[in-house]
Amino acid sequence: MDKLSVPLTKRLKELNTMYFQKKRCIAMLLAGGQGSRLKVLTQNTAKPAVPFGGKYRIIDFPLSNCVNSGIDTVGILTQYQPLELNEYIGNGQPWGLNKSQASAQVLPPYERNDKKNGWYKGTANAIYQNIAFIDRYEPEYVVVLSGDHIYKMDYADMVAFHEKNSAACTIAVRDVPLEEASRFGILNTNPDGSIYEFEEKPKHPKSTNASMGIYVFNWTILREFLIADEEDEASSNDFGKNIIPNLLNAGHKLMAYTFNGYWKDVGTIDSLWEANMELLGKDPEFDIRGDEKTRIYARNSALPSSYLDEHAVTENCFIAEGSEIYGTVRHSIISTGCMVGQGALVEDSVVMPGTVIAPNAIVRHAILGENSKIGRGAVVGGAYAPGEKKKISVTGKDTVLEENAVLLPGEMV
Amino acid sequence: MNVTGIVFANDGTLGDLTEKRTMASLPYGGRYRQVDFALSNLACAGIHRVGIVTRHNYQSLMNHVGSGEEWGLEMEEGGLEYLTPYSSSRTSDYRGKLESLHAAMSFLEYGNDDYVIMIDAAILSNVDLLKVINAHVESGKDITVVTKSGIADGRRQLDLAIKLDSKGEVKDVAVDYAAPSDYEASMDIFVLSRKWLITQVKEHIARNLYHMDRDLVLGLWKKKQATLNVYRFGGVALCNDTVLEYFQNNLALTQKEIREDLFGRNHPIYTKVRDRVPTFYGENSLVKNCSVADGCMLGGSVANSVLFRQVTVYPGASVKNCVIMNDTVVREDACLENVILDKDVVVRPGTKLIGTATNPIVVKRGEVV
Repeated sequence: MDKLSVPLTKRLKELNTMYFQKKRCIAMLLAGGQGSRLKVLTQNTAKPAVPFGGKYRIIDFPLSNCVNSGIDTVGILTQYQPLELNEYIGNGQPWGLNKSQASAQVLPPYERNDKKNGWYKGTANAIYQNIAFIDRYEPEYVVVLSGDHIYKMDYADMVAFHEKNSAACTIAVRDVPLEEASRFGILNTNPDGSIYEFEEKPKHPKSTNASMGIYVFNWTILREFLIADEEDEASSNDFGKNIIPNLLNAGHKLMAYTFNGYWKDVGTIDSLWEANMELLGKDPEFDIRGDEKTRIYARNSALPSSYLDEHAVTENCFIAEGSEIYGTVRHSIISTGCMVGQGALVEDSVVMPGTVIAPNAIVRHAILGENSKIGRGAVVGGAYAPGEKKKISVTGKDTVLEENAVLLPGEMV
Repeated sequence: MNVTGIVFANDGTLGDLTEKRTMASLPYGGRYRQVDFALSNLACAGIHRVGIVTRHNYQSLMNHVGSGEEWGLEMEEGGLEYLTPYSSSRTSDYRGKLESLHAAMSFLEYGNDDYVIMIDAAILSNVDLLKVINAHVESGKDITVVTKSGIADGRRQLDLAIKLDSKGEVKDVAVDYAAPSDYEASMDIFVLSRKWLITQVKEHIARNLYHMDRDLVLGLWKKKQATLNVYRFGGVALCNDTVLEYFQNNLALTQKEIREDLFGRNHPIYTKVRDRVPTFYGENSLVKNCSVADGCMLGGSVANSVLFRQVTVYPGASVKNCVIMNDTVVREDACLENVILDKDVVVRPGTKLIGTATNPIVVKRGEVV
């Protein structure tokens, strides 16, 4: 054998470890879900890529949280309709994750030589299939996040809590009303905050500590459990159903980390609409503004300022750049690059990027998907008395509503 | 075809507004700096090697343009270079464009680009520079100058004006001259062969000639040593040489035709990204005929104005015909009319400032009034 090959291999190995600098903590963001409860809004779009708050997409929240928490290496696991999401993440530049030692990497399922691959079967399997990616950074801790929640959180505090308690796994929890608890994964804890039981959507919940789908794991322990879980053919390869119960059964220490700030699962039409509405008002429930530590970053479009015409009326609303307003907008979110024509009325609605509302159209209690076109004089949704149950009308991406068309309350196209 | 771009940052001529800025870094139109137009024009013509010539006050310019990544200039080969005076022991502050090009000779001589396109940061337009370059090559002339008709008309500040005959050939060239309306006004965009330019710069500097318009364009044309091609631009071209022009050209953005031409004629205008939330309009806000950037909080009444990023107008305040730059706060019951407010100004509750449409009041950066 030639003598050169030995030092060369060694040298390459050295170079390799230099390039993949060891990280104390990295994040894995589960962004592959279909989000089928968002119906027409996720027909051709992955849920994390759904627009939110005028200029953001849902994934901007966990991604910005990572950056604001000092986590500079993020793996983004995609599967369902990844095109738009891949394009949106790009090289990670909007989040400052395009540096030699800071990166956002999109990780789709791929074909491996041992055939232990294919589509991500579940949340745990998605991480399992990317063990090699995580190993390159030799992290002590891996934060596992999901791409469908709106909140601002400093993960560094949670990791510090995890470390202080010498836990194998820490799960963020929030207190939910007892009557809603059966919709969540519920964590039953001892007085010291350690978890003794996990119940997925229990019929008779014993406590109101709902899992927020935010986990901190010790990588060596998680790695071992992922491999074991993969070998169990009966497993559904899911964190909630398999990994967490298995860790508990094995006697590992699991901690609940209480988070009291704003947090919203925007997995349904109603909750997505509500979360947008909660940005509005003088003292909003969720203040989307932020300082250096809590700012939400997004990929920005190269559109000029918005323009408000002589006849425009704008009350209690957010209007993003590139929009032109000739009509009336009340208690609504108008996203980047929209047009509201003269005599048109938009109330209690979320208008996603690039949507055009023609003159004299009326839009109330609606979500209009990206690049929708609402024809002249069309009527979308309806008005409600205070306290009445609202039905949200929805148009999917690129939908065209003809002139004078009617979309009834709660209807979707 | 490979082209090197040279952007002239231009010294400020707007008093307090350019006390610490070049014309290139002067904020314009809510979310831009003037240089964004020149850089976007170059970027969208696929020009990825650009030098920015700057002489004074270039800190704000470098802060804004940075490595040029918004304009595709962040690269290992080519990319962006700042051409400042005193860049070597043999260069000094310059008197004219030719002298600055001479100081930047190593930048000009490097590489294999066939052509050089020069563009001033102080002229705001959305030009397809590929068309200009192609027209230059087809013409076979030495210099192509981009012009705009209809704005000469005795304009005091006009540097270079050209009269064409009915066949489009150059009939007269005038420099620093109050030219009549049938002259084409130079937009200070030139295309030349790189090698030819290098030779001319060296020859002119050797004879102490440093003025681009007077010595190179007019001088060589008169002596029949250079041929001129004129590219007539049909779109909007704005030039903010005076405070009044700056004021009027900002307020012109409330006109649909101007907005559409400037931002949508050929390509987008890129600028440095600032992550700000969309603008919030309060329950009792009254905002009419305004151009508004992201991040504002508007509670009062605002009419016929241009608001930059993160401006706050408290309920009860009244703003009319104003240009308000980033992070300025207008407190309750203040009343402003025909005022330019620079960045970080605080207008105290109840303050009344009334300028006129032809003589707007300017409030300096960071002042409390």
